[in-house]
Amino acid sequence: MFNLVLRGLATGSIYSLTAVGIVLILSTTNVMNFAQGDTGMFLTYIAFFFILRGIAPSLTLPIVIVAGAVLGYLVYKGLISKAKKSSHLGMMIITLGLTMIFEGIVATFFGNIPLLFPPLIPGDPVHFGSVILDRQDILCLVTALVVFGILSFILYRTKIGIAARSIADDEYASRVLGIPINRIHSFIWAISFGLAGLAGIMTAPRLSLQPLFMVVVQLKAFTAAVLGGMNSVTGAIWGGLILGVMENLVAYYVPAIKESFSLLLIVAILLFLPNGLFGSREAGRS
Amino acid sequence: MKKKILPFLLLILALLIPLVFNARPSIVAYINLAIIYAVSAVGLNLLLGVAGQISLGHAAFMGIGGYTSAILMIRYGIPSIVSVLAGGLLAGLFGLIIGFPALRLKGFYLAIATMALGTAVTDVIKRMEILGADRGLTNVPPVTIFGYQFSSEFAKYYLYLAILLLTIFLVNNLLKSKTGMAFRAMRDSEVAAKVFGINISYYKVLAFVISSFLAGVAGAMYGHSLSYLHPDMFGFGLSIEFLAITIIGGIGTLWGPVLGSALWVIVPRLFGTKLEAMAGVLFGVVLILVVLFLPRGLSELIMRINKLFKKEEGERS
Repeated sequence: MFNLVLRGLATGSIYSLTAVGIVLILSTTNVMNFAQGDTGMFLTYIAFFFILRGIAPSLTLPIVIVAGAVLGYLVYKGLISKAKKSSHLGMMIITLGLTMIFEGIVATFFGNIPLLFPPLIPGDPVHFGSVILDRQDILCLVTALVVFGILSFILYRTKIGIAARSIADDEYASRVLGIPINRIHSFIWAISFGLAGLAGIMTAPRLSLQPLFMVVVQLKAFTAAVLGGMNSVTGAIWGGLILGVMENLVAYYVPAIKESFSLLLIVAILLFLPNGLFGSREAGRS
Repeated sequence: MKKKILPFLLLILALLIPLVFNARPSIVAYINLAIIYAVSAVGLNLLLGVAGQISLGHAAFMGIGGYTSAILMIRYGIPSIVSVLAGGLLAGLFGLIIGFPALRLKGFYLAIATMALGTAVTDVIKRMEILGADRGLTNVPPVTIFGYQFSSEFAKYYLYLAILLLTIFLVNNLLKSKTGMAFRAMRDSEVAAKVFGINISYYKVLAFVISSFLAGVAGAMYGHSLSYLHPDMFGFGLSIEFLAITIIGGIGTLWGPVLGSALWVIVPRLFGTKLEAMAGVLFGVVLILVVLFLPRGLSELIMRINKLFKKEEGERS
């Protein structure tokens, strides 16, 4: 039981990482980023490319984060900021176009065959008394904790983070107060895409590497974000962790609804708990 | 008079296509696939482009239609005309069920909910033993009408073309009717539509039902045509494809979805098998460009060129 919960937390931390990226972008830029998962997929393939060139798997972590940040900056500067005139749905469709581009590029160069991504920390599972954990799971948990620590420091203690939260609160007022909206937005996109890469590289060793491997994770991340109320980073973190644990317990005790569980949860929450578990104010689902 | 000639010529051209590709049935098979896609895309266009409701689960309705029609024919020997319609109707019924969340959700949240429900459908099919579960359904018989089996690609072509033209004829009439106007009013401003006494709930659900009915019929055609069905064929990816087809072709236009489907099926073949995946990149780029510059898709491009020509003619005379 305790083991199930811990493993659930490890899976959940991946959902949280992805969900936080989605929520950051949604709350500041008002774009539902359907490319969050596939961005992670794309960056993981870049990491895989470096591993094939003989670089140690653990060294690809910083590569992925930096590459993700650059990609996020470019996507914002090149596409999203140009599309501000079009509707929110239009911007969402742009992110869907991005997924097609990423999947196409990867399928062209690596094919659709599942590839084995080496674990970042090789080694046997670790025993803590009766609890057995993969090293990969521990890495997920620790990384998530560190990332969330850094993130909350940025959001609450630095000028950029406070500006970002103020944009999320009221973009117009922030503009009036002289906050450089575009710069903050591109910063947020860079962070989110970095997180996407991190989530991808954490997921890849557990599943096999193929062009669609992050699609499921993204779906779960949406569930997590919805669970957390869609507008708070803390909510997304908790939503991801709770979802991971719930899913593990459901898969163990009620295996029949394993796959569909989170899907039905998403719809139920959207309909009956429009603010999620942690969301504050505005029930406006528009 | 001049207006009537062009469609007539196009129709004759369409009827002649199989004769041109007589020696290469594989090309006709691709055209058939494009027609199937077009029927489904016309349905999504009605929902997205006319009624203004987004759906990321369109492919699931195709799956429902495909499986229903196939099972009815294999297990119960029901004639194809009935089974295909039943596939459409059952998909429509599911559309009714999914239409209700749409009453409370808008925009992004509707997108997420339809995505979840669409994926859930494929997961459920994977668990149903009667539908072949994870192995898929093989040996789906071709459409048979009054003892005639539509098994050759050429026979299928004429049947599917007829279905597509009928669909477009009906949708065109629908657009001109009160229902079509209500859809558009709802898309442009829900509040204004409400003020004019349009029953928003009714028309939203109706839009979902009609669009999923068309997807169901297309799915049935798909299954009978490929003689094979697998739940993964109708996943999230296909739903995105339809969204892209509809938007690239031109949302809210009558022939846009047909144009989009034709491009979607034919263009990847031009890349050759090795670079087929690059077509996905191309479509992604086109999709983004369309969102940025051409709100009515590639149809708009054609319309603009048309206008240019007409202007020149007008200046000359």
